[in-house]
Amino acid sequence: MKNRFFLVFATVAAVVLMTSCGKVPQADIDATNAAISSAKTAQADIYLPGEFAALNDSMTVITQSVEAQKSKLFKNYKSVKVQTGALTTYAGQIAANAAVKKDEVRVEAETMLASAKTLLADNQALILKAPKGKEGKAVLDEIKSEMTVIETSINEAQVLYDGGTNYMQVRDKVKAANEALTAINTELNDAIAKVKR
Amino acid sequence: MILSLVKKSIFLIITAIILVSIIWLFFALIPESPLRELESAQEAISKARNHNSVIYSAKTFREARSYYDSAMISWKTENKRFILFRDYERARMFASISGKKAAEATKSTISKANDMRLNLDSEIKRLTVRIRDFEKLFSTVPVPQEIKKKHAKGKLLLKETVIAFNKGEYVTGSVKVAEANEYLTDSYSFANAKLTEYYKNYSRWQDWAGKTIRESRERGSYAIIVEKVPGVCYLYHKGEKKYTFEVEFGNNWMGDKVSKGDFATPEGRYKITKRLSNGATKYHKALLINYPNQQDLEEFKIMVQSGKLPSGTKIGGLIEIHGEGGRGGNWTEGCVALKNSDMDVLFKYAGNGTPVTIIGSSVPLNEFMSSR
Repeated sequence: MKNRFFLVFATVAAVVLMTSCGKVPQADIDATNAAISSAKTAQADIYLPGEFAALNDSMTVITQSVEAQKSKLFKNYKSVKVQTGALTTYAGQIAANAAVKKDEVRVEAETMLASAKTLLADNQALILKAPKGKEGKAVLDEIKSEMTVIETSINEAQVLYDGGTNYMQVRDKVKAANEALTAINTELNDAIAKVKR
Repeated sequence: MILSLVKKSIFLIITAIILVSIIWLFFALIPESPLRELESAQEAISKARNHNSVIYSAKTFREARSYYDSAMISWKTENKRFILFRDYERARMFASISGKKAAEATKSTISKANDMRLNLDSEIKRLTVRIRDFEKLFSTVPVPQEIKKKHAKGKLLLKETVIAFNKGEYVTGSVKVAEANEYLTDSYSFANAKLTEYYKNYSRWQDWAGKTIRESRERGSYAIIVEKVPGVCYLYHKGEKKYTFEVEFGNNWMGDKVSKGDFATPEGRYKITKRLSNGATKYHKALLINYPNQQDLEEFKIMVQSGKLPSGTKIGGLIEIHGEGGRGGNWTEGCVALKNSDMDVLFKYAGNGTPVTIIGSSVPLNEFMSSR
């Protein structure tokens, strides 16, 4: 009788031992996936691509760990729980950092757009003062054509900016426009200065 | 009693050995998970992704991902079976292929990115030269606004290309440079073709200018030669060049005048028919020439008869060499404009009957191109 009682007790204890840590922490995994989705919604894939890729890599490692535990007789998901917890926190940080980075780029793009518009207006005023000597008018005509194209590019950048989808694209587009406008500005100022001398 | 105890003990020992053996066998038969292979494949995929294989070796990278997913699916499926019946060989095989594909993608990406970087660098340099050439050679060529805009658009796209290149975004750069190339090639080809077509008359111009200078020498008289490229007017006396003046034309100066209102300056051998000054002209002083001459009239008639010009088109006239020039650019309706001070000098020497020869250029196209 005593032996039978011991056998039953041992079996129950073994089952409890084998199953107590053996349940996939699905809620934790779901929370981590949700945190990664939030980071993507915050456009971490655009503004912090390296960090976002690392997040996904870590999630892949967790998925591997889960399957590795499932492959064992005695499953233990304690480390998975720890990993998911850490990754959820990290994903939250990445989402927050992406938002900060996005705003930085937005401000930068906004400043560059304003600067481009100012330069465009300055150049338009300088064209009126520029000398129209031999071949001067032809050069000015060329500059005017260039400015029309740059103005269109700035307007396109403004539409992109207003859309708010990708401020990186806006920044690169306006950077090219600014460089072109700065070169024209220098050319016009040099020509005007030569006449004054 | 002792025998019975020994028997019982032997039975217990054998039972224990059998039990331990069964347990050992059970554990020994549990298949090893493919974790190591999948980790290795994942590392290779991460490396490929960090090298931008998703852009440069998209197909191979996609295959690597797909094999990795297959490995995971196979692993998950096997994990659902009874522990001793699991077979992870397929998962291992997929993981191994995935790793190889990812490594292949990385290798190919490094090579492709390098090729793309070199190509892009060379294209940027080539198009920079093209822009410089266009601006040097064709800045005064009257091309339509649309062509000028194409050139400007290409120029801006090249700047965007350089930004992408400096950021290591070679794919974006390649897309932009291809677009820039299209715009810049179009505008360059148009202007180049126009200039080449124009210079087809070069031997004719040489002939006219040669005759005019020879006659000036033989007769000991004055003669005027106007060259549209680079926009100058020469006053000859006894076959020798005495004065050079800068001049301006109509904005459609490239080519011969064909009809009234085409803003072109005629090309050919003419004579001064009337001198205008003291309020007789609004352009300070003016020398009227005999456009259209006989040759112009004949050519005009042929163009109307052949339908190249609509019937009812007028040939135009009242072409002058006049003052009020020096404005920059070509602004007249087909006349030749000089600065008033230059016009005073020319007016002093040029009388009725003085030959006026208007040509494209006395310098051949290749010389003009290399001089710019």
